[in-house]
Amino acid sequence: MNYKLPKEVLEIAEGIRSMKIRGAGRIARAAVKALKIAALGYRGSNVKDFYDYMMYASKLLLATRPTAVSLPNAVAYVMSRLSRNIEAFSLNEAVDSVVKWSDEFIEYSLKATQLIGEIGEGRIKSGNIVLTHCNSSAALSVIITAHRKGKDIRVYACETRPKFQGKITAKTLAKEGIDVTLIPDSAVRFFMKDVDLVIVGADTVAANGAVVNKIGTSMIALAAHEARVRVFVAAETYKFSPATVIGELVTIEERPPTEVVDKDFLRRYPGIKVRNPAFDVTPPEYIDAIITEKGVISPHAAILVLREEFAWTLEERMKKLKLTLNYEIE
Amino acid sequence: MREYEDFHKLIGDLRDGRIFGSTEAAEKALTFIKEQVGLCSSLNEIKNTLIEYVPPLVKARPTSALTVNCLREIVELTIDCIKRKMDAQKVKENICSKIDEMLRKAHESVKMIAGIGAKRIKDGDTILTNTYSYTVLNVLEKARDEGKKISIFIPESRPGGEGIDMAVELYKRGFPVTLFVDSAVRYMMKEADLVLIGAEAIAANGAVVNKIGTSMIALAAHEARVRVFVAAGTYKFSLETFLGEIVELTYRRPEVLLSSHELRALGNVKVLCPAFDVTPPEYIDAIITERGVFAPQAVPLIVREIFGWPPLVKDISVLIEELKRC
Repeated sequence: MNYKLPKEVLEIAEGIRSMKIRGAGRIARAAVKALKIAALGYRGSNVKDFYDYMMYASKLLLATRPTAVSLPNAVAYVMSRLSRNIEAFSLNEAVDSVVKWSDEFIEYSLKATQLIGEIGEGRIKSGNIVLTHCNSSAALSVIITAHRKGKDIRVYACETRPKFQGKITAKTLAKEGIDVTLIPDSAVRFFMKDVDLVIVGADTVAANGAVVNKIGTSMIALAAHEARVRVFVAAETYKFSPATVIGELVTIEERPPTEVVDKDFLRRYPGIKVRNPAFDVTPPEYIDAIITEKGVISPHAAILVLREEFAWTLEERMKKLKLTLNYEIE
Repeated sequence: MREYEDFHKLIGDLRDGRIFGSTEAAEKALTFIKEQVGLCSSLNEIKNTLIEYVPPLVKARPTSALTVNCLREIVELTIDCIKRKMDAQKVKENICSKIDEMLRKAHESVKMIAGIGAKRIKDGDTILTNTYSYTVLNVLEKARDEGKKISIFIPESRPGGEGIDMAVELYKRGFPVTLFVDSAVRYMMKEADLVLIGAEAIAANGAVVNKIGTSMIALAAHEARVRVFVAAGTYKFSLETFLGEIVELTYRRPEVLLSSHELRALGNVKVLCPAFDVTPPEYIDAIITERGVFAPQAVPLIVREIFGWPPLVKDISVLIEELKRC
């Protein structure tokens, strides 16, 4: 069944799809905010119908981007709670609870970024040169916290084709008074010899500790590994993917070619195929540590975070899997 | 005055990499010198032409060993001719025919490299390359002419977009081409069968100087156990490196990465845009030259064969001083 959703909800979904809203954390907060707006905008009178309506809104939001797990995790934060309590709720209670859980998640998310900054900045020493990629609030939180604590640091920011998010990073850091240099993505190995540590964000952390992040991250990690430069990933626990525990692969989104070349180019040279993967996968062996709001962990210990944070959904997923498998065996 | 404007444009194009390949760079530089020498009517004019134009040409593209080696030969030849008391007309003829010979040899060696290199390409291969290279283009065409079906992967090569130009060139010649951003090289490497790149210069230890990003490609290939071949004539050996010189790596102007308007908008942001990088020999499986295929570590062997041992080379600035005293 199709529901009519408030205009603002559709705008947020479109914003995530078109990348006007970018970054795993910002996407998560925007999605949860959309759920809250949807709940407040519900015009029906039946709690069962409200649940279906919220599920409809959730599916719409989930379909916008396939890779960042923060989106389904954030939606699940609200919706799993709703699903567990819906039987006992009146309509008013259900709406109020969605609003409460949404606010709770947003507050938690913002606090987590700040905590990651506090925990991560300890790894940066005065005089260090830090290399970062794309525009990650968690990674920037670490760098900016170190700077505010009086550490004298320099930053190399990769420009990050095709959408140049590195320019936003450079601008943000420059405004903070940090010495920042923008470099092309292909020059990462050239500069790696000068670099003391790499800090990047994450879109998704898989069960084995592999990190899915903006395209180019795995190249940077490889070049850092070669040069014995440490690699830190700053990631909130809601970026860990419970689906990977039961064997699912993270889908790597390939975006439209028009982000790389213009339409005119594609028309003139129809035989040139343009591929635009938005993310790549950095294997855990190139990552020294993942900095979460709950502490610093080895990437190989990702399963620990998943078991702690996502016990409820893992149980559910396992049950479902067992059911389907049993069914198939019969 | 026109040639002076032309000269400044040439210098700019060489420096900013608007003339992409190092073979083309050498060709443009030599053709310019030939034209200028052709206009001279006295020995002094010839001397002054070289003294005026050679150093800035070298400075504009110090990485291009082919350009440096050819210009050095021209200056050496001129000094030799003057010492042998030749008249202006004779010196001019000598220089011009030397330049013609060098250009012919450069093209011949590319054809040889294509013949040898094509043998390393198998039917059905996907070849990952970087930036625009006349030599690589020839190898690929030769392989295709031998009936092998090959497809090409190429990154765009920021900020100049030479990879896009190469993709268009390949497309026009009928190759299936896939273009992607520079940072996607490791992502695409799993689907590639081999890496084939050109070179600006090859150093004494077999390290290869080439367009920025090449060393990342070689590293990603090494990690994925994809073979890396460098197609380059022996004219691209940087003889100075045998005397301990380091190949000077140039930076491009910040404006090539960010418009000056954008630079202002970003605030106090610095920009660094190296034009070339160095790929260590351990990431290169073989160098394909007109004299055959060999390991990068064997560069000294070939150098000894061609130039003697130790190779007797004089720095261009020393030769220019010598020319001034002639």
